Amino acid sequence: MSRSLNFKPSNDRATKITLTFACWTTAILFFLPIAWIIATALKPKNTVLDIPPKVLFVPTLQNLIDALSFSNTLSYFINSIIYSSIAVLLAILVSFLAAYSFSRFKPAGTDFLMFLLLSTRFVPAAAFVIPFFQLFNILKLKDSFLGLIIFYTMFSIPFSVWILKGFIDGVSTKFDETGLVYGAKRPHIMFKLVLPQVRSGLVAAFVFNIIFVWNEFLFNFQLGGLKTYGIPVGLFTSITKGGQVDWSFVASIGTLYVLPLALVIYFFQRYLLVGLTFGTVRGEV
Amino acid sequence: MESPLFDIKLNNLTKKFDSFTAVNNINFTIPKSSVTVLLGPSGCGKTTLMRMIAGLEKPTSGSIFFEEHEVTRVSTRRRNLGMVFQYPVIYRGTSVKRNLELPLLSEGLEKQVINDRVHKVAELLGISDSLNKLVEELDNGTRQKIAVGRAIAREPNIILFDEPITNIDINSKLELKRSLKELFGRLSQTIVYVTHDQTEAMTLADQIALMQDGVITQCAPPSEIYSKPGNQFAGWFLGNPGMNFIDKKHLTKTDSTVGAPTLFSQTLRVGARARDVAVLGIRAESVSVSTKEVSGAKPARVLRKSLGIGGQYLLDLDYAGLVIKVRVSHAMGREVSDKVWTTVDSDNISLFDENGVVV
Repeated sequence: MSRSLNFKPSNDRATKITLTFACWTTAILFFLPIAWIIATALKPKNTVLDIPPKVLFVPTLQNLIDALSFSNTLSYFINSIIYSSIAVLLAILVSFLAAYSFSRFKPAGTDFLMFLLLSTRFVPAAAFVIPFFQLFNILKLKDSFLGLIIFYTMFSIPFSVWILKGFIDGVSTKFDETGLVYGAKRPHIMFKLVLPQVRSGLVAAFVFNIIFVWNEFLFNFQLGGLKTYGIPVGLFTSITKGGQVDWSFVASIGTLYVLPLALVIYFFQRYLLVGLTFGTVRGEV
Repeated sequence: MESPLFDIKLNNLTKKFDSFTAVNNINFTIPKSSVTVLLGPSGCGKTTLMRMIAGLEKPTSGSIFFEEHEVTRVSTRRRNLGMVFQYPVIYRGTSVKRNLELPLLSEGLEKQVINDRVHKVAELLGISDSLNKLVEELDNGTRQKIAVGRAIAREPNIILFDEPITNIDINSKLELKRSLKELFGRLSQTIVYVTHDQTEAMTLADQIALMQDGVITQCAPPSEIYSKPGNQFAGWFLGNPGMNFIDKKHLTKTDSTVGAPTLFSQTLRVGARARDVAVLGIRAESVSVSTKEVSGAKPARVLRKSLGIGGQYLLDLDYAGLVIKVRVSHAMGREVSDKVWTTVDSDNISLFDENGVVV
């Protein structure tokens, strides 16, 4: 069967406008709930439940100030920042060492070990809750930062090793060999020569894991306590005040909760693509 | 640069990767304080041989000596080498100066010594003005200069270059080749340089070790290896185009002479060697071309005429079924139409036996 070649110009203006419109509509549709939360946080308290909802209003920061000055809100934030940042940074350090070993020394059964590592993420979190609860009780790690940091580090390692191994595989072994020829020790080769080459992988691993850990609720609720609850648990426990839901308060906490993550994702979004492809699509990042 | 000078002796050196023999029983000495270029096509074993000298690859059998010290089982770290790879390896996010310093710092040298060496090397390579620049700001050619600088700043006994110009863009390539040529003239170390590019080899080498199928087939200074190839492979691989080969069916032989009557009228007096001659080798520039009939010259039909680099013309000439390539000057090339008369310089004809080895 013969087919004639008919190349239509792909930058047809009408198609371009339609596609742009479709993309924007979809994006707005997905963004609506978040916009609703942010709008609710900025609305005066007495107009929050108005029907029909008020689209035009004079924004106020009072709800956010109230939410922040509520007894535990600030400590929830600080807790979240402490355990998520320390755990993720620790996880990345450990993962880099592991990924480097897997990539360069290729120990027997590397593929199986890599599979095994990720298999911990196959099991639903709920299945782990009770054993971990018991374990943390026995080790007296419940409601401690040390316990949560250990747990979230462990939680972040498998995915980070996968991301970083992909990146390190992409770095020529000539970097290592250059170091060896200069008489450098292994740490020098790893941290001075190879690590700077996988900078985008490190950022990708950081962004992914910070999203996971920042949003994690179940284990923070079960293994944490009043001393160590983060924002997701804080939001859950403070949702009802005096028997009814304070929507302004919920929306304000929600806004403050999403904000740091939104900023991280906004500034590092180019690394998300390289992370999602495990370093196979590197680009110039 | 002050450092002890070492010969590199390779004894029965073999490297196998499963059933593939990359380096096959090489016995060879790389003389101290010279530039030896390992030249050959891809897969001939030149890089594997260099990696064994560096200790980055373990030989399957055989031994390597640096002067009288056996290093076959000595780790790369302790061989006191400098090595430059195909891809410019740099310390990202640091300055040129820092890049040159880092390996020296890990050797624990004094600050003043490091500083002196860095400046000396930068001057040698013409990168003194870039010392404070970030390496990311530099092109690949300059980055490769930094890699070269790092290799020589350590003042090793031996410096290895693994196709350092291959991945560099064409403009920087010429500049880097010039810098290396100048640098090699000023260094006293034993230098081994791997490349598949014959012009690079011709420019930089004191001696070229030509490799084929894991074996060094000939080792000689560039001019000698070009004009007196030790085998047909050397004749074919070196030169652009490679040597023309005239096989048995075009030859006439007596007990002491050889001729190729379709191509040239004289007979070559080669004595007893005539018995072994199976192939004649003639370089493209060893054939003189005239557009007018000359006595003693042979007529040829011009099959193709193409303009080559440097303005010279390349002609494909047909002598009643025997086709050879001939290079002529620009002026002559422009004159040539469909027929020419040629003579061959007898002194520049190579004789090979049935196995392709020079006789």
